[in-house]
Amino acid sequence: MGKEVKKNPIIICRCENVTLDDVERAIEEGYTDLESLRRKLRIGMGPCQGRTCLPLVIRILARKLRKSPDELIIPTSRPPINPIPMKLFIHGGDDEDEE
Amino acid sequence: MTRMRNELVIIGGGIIGLFSAYFATELGLKDIVIIEKKYLGSGSTFRCATGIRASFTTEEHITLQKESIELWKKLSKQLGFYYVQGGYIWLFRKDEQLKAFSEYSKLHNKYGVPTRIITPEEIREKAPMINLEGIIGGLFDPIAGKANPFGVVYALAEELRKRGVKMQTRTKVHRIIIENNKIKGVSTDNGEIEAEKVLIAAGYGSREIAKTAGVDLPLRNVPHHALITEKFREAFKPLLIDWTYSAYIVQVEEGGFLMGMDVEERPNQPLYQRNDFIPRMARVAVRLFPWMKNINVLRYWPGYYVMSPDSHPILGPIEEVDGLFVATGFSGHGFMMAPIAGEVIAEWLVDGKTKHKIAENLTLRRIKEGRLIHEKAVFG
Repeated sequence: MGKEVKKNPIIICRCENVTLDDVERAIEEGYTDLESLRRKLRIGMGPCQGRTCLPLVIRILARKLRKSPDELIIPTSRPPINPIPMKLFIHGGDDEDEE
Repeated sequence: MTRMRNELVIIGGGIIGLFSAYFATELGLKDIVIIEKKYLGSGSTFRCATGIRASFTTEEHITLQKESIELWKKLSKQLGFYYVQGGYIWLFRKDEQLKAFSEYSKLHNKYGVPTRIITPEEIREKAPMINLEGIIGGLFDPIAGKANPFGVVYALAEELRKRGVKMQTRTKVHRIIIENNKIKGVSTDNGEIEAEKVLIAAGYGSREIAKTAGVDLPLRNVPHHALITEKFREAFKPLLIDWTYSAYIVQVEEGGFLMGMDVEERPNQPLYQRNDFIPRMARVAVRLFPWMKNINVLRYWPGYYVMSPDSHPILGPIEEVDGLFVATGFSGHGFMMAPIAGEVIAEWLVDGKTKHKIAENLTLRRIKEGRLIHEKAVFG
């Protein structure tokens, strides 16, 4: 996450607190594919699973690489897509040990 | 077309290839190229359970892993990545499990790994929020631990870049080029790359590549499954294994609970997501930690254990081809074994022999000659 804290940082990933500066610096360091950027900065690893940050990062990276967003390889989405509590997988939603 | 003669080409940019390159540069090799078909870490490395242990059931695994743990300690400080020696606790629900692991513990102790059988009360001290119902005891491995695969791969890659190692990602190796039983190079998407030596460290993909050199690697690619939850404050340091369900739970660097369990699978199937995995895993997790019922599951992913016939890696030179080496078939233990495997391979590459005598038992020759050394403690 951001080493230098700016006064008005532009937040790209709210779940993991990653700023525009962090993204641009990582791209300059050679993390020029979305899968590696994601793991380097933890973008899209939080509860939103990339729904907020990924479209932004795709645009930033495409611009930096002078490519069309369509040319970038998009990271794999993993189930359950939305965060779901464990208990819903077990009892079909019944919470038997609570009133 | 790249026309340059390198000292070493490594096929596979996973944890094994990267650590091998690291130790090769330590021993003075200069021109090294790593070729990766997708992105660094993209195979089993980034899908792994992150655990590191020496509590195995064979002399080969126990003694090599003891040294690997020393390297994890040293390199995490030098290269600055997350590694915690939080231990492993193996949990038992049946007398015969406790009995078998009491014997394994004697073997661990014989080779200098201080595991011991612990009571349910001691388990609670180390994992305070656990539900001990049905658990009759455990085995504690105090030197085991965990690391962050992303942190390790990027720290290694940055160090290797400084040392002049070239890394070509999104490049596929098609075949190995041999002349008069001697390595000449590899043929890739970007043309031929000449090399004096070639290391195949490409997981199950090693099988197809080795075939082009006339070498048969007896590997099976077995799907396994894991999930991670949202972050939570530190609940317990050790990695826990519920041996009855062949399941594990570990809290990773950022605070999520990473867990997996063995579900019946046929080898050599494409990776796919099973509808029954999360419910089965959730039942085991909530039995151990009832409060986990309210924790959110974030992601579930499959990954392979690349199994050898005896669950030990196939490591070292291939006798038929001068200059050809392999490091694969780690059978679910590649991440934890990577530092020692990298050191052993580098010694073989540079000196033609390894200081770790016991590693000589792990070459492909053992399988050809039928000298298998079965590992019994494989789970997840």
